[in-house]
Amino acid sequence: MIGRVLTVFLKEIRDALRDRRTALMVLVASVVTGPLTLVLVAQFVSGLEERAATLKVRMSGAEHAPALVNFLRRADVEIEKAPADYAARVKDGSLDAVVVVPRDFHERWLAHDDARVELVYDDSRTESSPAIRQTERLLAAFNRETAYLRLMARGVSPSLNESVKVERINAATPRQKGAVLLFLIPMFAILAPLLGGMTLAIDATAGERERGSLEPLLANPVPTAVFAVGKWLAAWTSATVVAAVTLAGFLAAAVLYAERKLPALLQFGVPEFTRFVAIVVPLAALTSAAQMLISTYGRSYREAQTYVSYLATAVSFIPLVVMFSGAREAAWQSFVPVLGQLMALQRVLRGDGLSSSDAFVPAAVALTLAVAAVAAVARLLRDERIVFGRS
Amino acid sequence: MIEVASLAKRFGSVDAVRRVSFTAADGRVTGLLGPNGAGKTTTLRMISTLLAPTAGVVSVDGIDAGREPLAVRARVGALSDARGLYARLTARENIAYYGELRGMARPRLAESIGRLASLLEFESLLDRRTEGFSQGERMKVAIARALVHDPPNVILDEPTNGLDVMTTRSLREAVRRLREAGKCVLFSSHVMQEVAALCDEIVIVAHGVVSAAGTPAAIREAAGCEDLEEAFVRLTGPADAVAQGGSR
Repeated sequence: MIGRVLTVFLKEIRDALRDRRTALMVLVASVVTGPLTLVLVAQFVSGLEERAATLKVRMSGAEHAPALVNFLRRADVEIEKAPADYAARVKDGSLDAVVVVPRDFHERWLAHDDARVELVYDDSRTESSPAIRQTERLLAAFNRETAYLRLMARGVSPSLNESVKVERINAATPRQKGAVLLFLIPMFAILAPLLGGMTLAIDATAGERERGSLEPLLANPVPTAVFAVGKWLAAWTSATVVAAVTLAGFLAAAVLYAERKLPALLQFGVPEFTRFVAIVVPLAALTSAAQMLISTYGRSYREAQTYVSYLATAVSFIPLVVMFSGAREAAWQSFVPVLGQLMALQRVLRGDGLSSSDAFVPAAVALTLAVAAVAAVARLLRDERIVFGRS
Repeated sequence: MIEVASLAKRFGSVDAVRRVSFTAADGRVTGLLGPNGAGKTTTLRMISTLLAPTAGVVSVDGIDAGREPLAVRARVGALSDARGLYARLTARENIAYYGELRGMARPRLAESIGRLASLLEFESLLDRRTEGFSQGERMKVAIARALVHDPPNVILDEPTNGLDVMTTRSLREAVRRLREAGKCVLFSSHVMQEVAALCDEIVIVAHGVVSAAGTPAAIREAAGCEDLEEAFVRLTGPADAVAQGGSR
């Protein structure tokens, strides 16, 4: 029997490899979309970090505020003279924030008389916000220092002025910050097997019905379970290969970016890749079995494609629900297909340990359901309405 | 040898086959003749074990098809009503797939494909993908695929449908060779001349019932007319009755 399963498997793989749709799908879905998205996100985020990393303040009229300039220099801040058309430049996004010092600033400051600076920014640009916040913080620090010195000069304890001292401690490790952004990789990891198994799962079931090749195939002295298993293994293989190629694309992109000092953002190395593949392979078994089961009801490739797209929609909905509902992790989630995998993938990305129940429960659930779906396909292939219902 | 006794098949409220009994012997060509919708295809599907009969028994070489369908399939080569090929595979790969599913060893399989390609005259097409094949070429590949394991019983469901004269001739020649090789050949047709030219035995089916069976001479005698076509028309009833006979 194993020999017959292998025969069916090899035929389906050979058939799929000659299908241009397969090649195109592998290329577009896996190699281009995923990593390209990642590169764009990384570019965006690295832009944010770069802008905030070097302390730089742009000033117009710095010569009117020697005390402020002195403070900033001591804080190791680079001061750059803003161009005359700073307002327009802020608007078009080429400048983030500009401190504008009026002519009478120094006199008023010395006289304790309502000294003002203007902070010009455009907060509709999210990419400017780190630079804006930073400039605000520097100006506030200058304020505090001035007040501190003046209170001291009057013999008042400066701590009176600050009854509660707030110290910022960001608990997110760099890796965790990355994981928030890398919600994308689990999303692709879950959708890739759906895309990868689709063509083959449909072609091997509804495609056979449409071509009229199912009836002669079933006239062979082979139990229908052999066909169901062979076809499923082929679809599973295709789904796994596409998922692995997609994830390898992310791995390549991560390696590329690691050299640009962004390891914090893209913690997706070989260990993560390996765990991802280990989590996605059982999921691919389930998605391809489910696609086959659904497609078996389709009388034509197109009809089955419609049914299968409902499945894809339902599956891609799960990560979105998790993202927007802010569902917290709970033990029962491991038992829900796709959700269990998603949680495990996110744990891997966050660098949290993967307990055996996190890893094995979703895999066991997926494989059990997959076997049930394949058994259902084998039963359907004995159903007269399926085999002969061509029109 | 194929034996069919009191075979019946019901689809919902439609009796596609009501009472069909006949025997197709080895070394003979038996023609199942009847108008469209008479129940020929349904009968052949029950013989090749793809449909379970509502009543009646099919046995092939003494094996009960209801009890041992896989054993019956192993002894039958059937060209079914649906004869789709895999367009992205070559003719040879299409045929070899079925041979492998039937557990044939490689050398025997290669020899069998070569023999069938020469019998059906399509050697030059063997290593081309079947997507561009004409209807006749596809039919030849489908027949070769059904016969790859050299089965003792051959079932052909309307094999000449839509074929040109040359292809039909080479097909008839192939059927005669199968008879010479001692096979039991059972084929269905709604074309009188087709059956008259080839068959040793004729079974006329109309409205799911066998209305006459025997040699062409016996059929003519039973209908009481010299012309076989006239006999066919008398035995299968008027056209409006035929239309009510069920669509399967």
